[in-house]
Amino acid sequence: MGPPVSHRWAARLHLPTLAVAVALLAVWTLLSWRYGAYVLPSPLEVVRGLGEVVRTGEVWRHTGASLARILVGFGGAVVVAVLLGLAAFVSPVGRGIVHDLVAVLNATSVFVWIVISIIWFGLSNWAPIFTTFMITLPVVGANIVEGVENVDRRLLEMGDVYRLDGRQKFAAIVVPSTLPYLLAGMKVGFGLALKVSVVAEIFGVTSGIGYIMNYSREILATQMVFVWALVMILVMTLADRLVFEVIARRLARWR
Amino acid sequence: MKLVVEGVGKDYLIPVIDSVSFGVAAGEFVCLLGPNGCGKTTLLRIVGGLEPATRGRVLLDGEPVTADGRHRDRVGVVFQEDRLLPWMTLRDNVALVLKPLGVAAAGRRATAERYLQLVGLGGFEGYYPGRVSGGMRQRAAIARALAIEPDLLLMDEPFGALDAQNRRIMQNEVRRIWRETGRTIVFVTHSIEEAVAIGTTLVMLSARPSRVRELIGNDGRVERAKLVDDLNTMIMEEVERQQGAAPGPVP
Repeated sequence: MGPPVSHRWAARLHLPTLAVAVALLAVWTLLSWRYGAYVLPSPLEVVRGLGEVVRTGEVWRHTGASLARILVGFGGAVVVAVLLGLAAFVSPVGRGIVHDLVAVLNATSVFVWIVISIIWFGLSNWAPIFTTFMITLPVVGANIVEGVENVDRRLLEMGDVYRLDGRQKFAAIVVPSTLPYLLAGMKVGFGLALKVSVVAEIFGVTSGIGYIMNYSREILATQMVFVWALVMILVMTLADRLVFEVIARRLARWR
Repeated sequence: MKLVVEGVGKDYLIPVIDSVSFGVAAGEFVCLLGPNGCGKTTLLRIVGGLEPATRGRVLLDGEPVTADGRHRDRVGVVFQEDRLLPWMTLRDNVALVLKPLGVAAAGRRATAERYLQLVGLGGFEGYYPGRVSGGMRQRAAIARALAIEPDLLLMDEPFGALDAQNRRIMQNEVRRIWRETGRTIVFVTHSIEEAVAIGTTLVMLSARPSRVRELIGNDGRVERAKLVDDLNTMIMEEVERQQGAAPGPVP
């Protein structure tokens, strides 16, 4: 189904966007000539740098380290958010508490958690993990709670008529209607996790995209800062395309 | 299943149902009629134990119906909307309600398919509700209600959302299913023609706060056209009464 392949490619490449990209690259090149490689490395140097880190395998080491921390911190946040959603489902009191908790956490700055996690965990893996956890928890939690609140009461009443017990109603009605909300929350949360954990990696760890970016700056290798920024963009895009879009399509197969 | 409604009343902010009493023998096809807003749906929900009554009680074979759904008898409900789970196939939707009855998976599947067949959905078992027409969804909802082999089947304007042609087809189907299964059915409708066409007992409610205005046996002894005329007259009287009783414009 869908449009023919050639059309799809045309749509994806979207010529006006391509034109803008080419123009930006041209301006970038000009500016890098004007200001020199320390301030603004040329696109060519960035591409060369990317080839370098791929060749040496450095790209896997640091991306892997960052992703591992995200997996623990963000994964933990998803697990806890699901438990909060469960609490919001079973009791109105729980729903109120979760609501307020999410509001407070949402209002807390990233930097607060970075500083606190350095105090608590020192210069270790747990600092970025904890920061990621605390920042993504309210995002995923808010989405799940919204999903739980939006479960169609009329379907639950149908469940009562046919005497489904709590577990059956949960599995057949609550989970399927909440999953799209969970997925949306996870999508936003993952993007946030990548951005936040990288900032937290500036302090105290010796691997990860944030660490290597900061290190590149210190040794005046500006082109590597750009290379790692590019890697972050690629990771985000690939996660979107290969994970979230695939899951979303699977979830929506009944639509 | 013998159904007895004993002085049932319901107050929200105002009394909606004053006091309704009637009794129905097993295997009857009861149609609840009345002007808009007289509490037909509310009465049906009370009979099904979905809502508590303010006064009175409902007895199924002598056992009171309670709003917590703990009563012994099986009650199937077809709502105004189909209330199918959109993420389950028609087969799984029907099979789901057999789970609480302790039927094994293979049996649930077979029963679901049998009842989908009965309502004319053979071949559509694997379809998701979003992929079939509104009439077919409503049939699937009926199959689901029948699958639990209910002692009492409650239907709340189940064909309200259908066009005239589908409505006619579904009326014939329900009538046929009723004949084949012998269930006691209580059917809410605002269409007098529909009630006369399919009901064996017609309960005409009065304007709000409602009482039973007339209990009519529709056994074919009264000519249908005359019955429809009489009922239309009654309902017009009730509508006028309701409008007369309504508070006038604010001075």
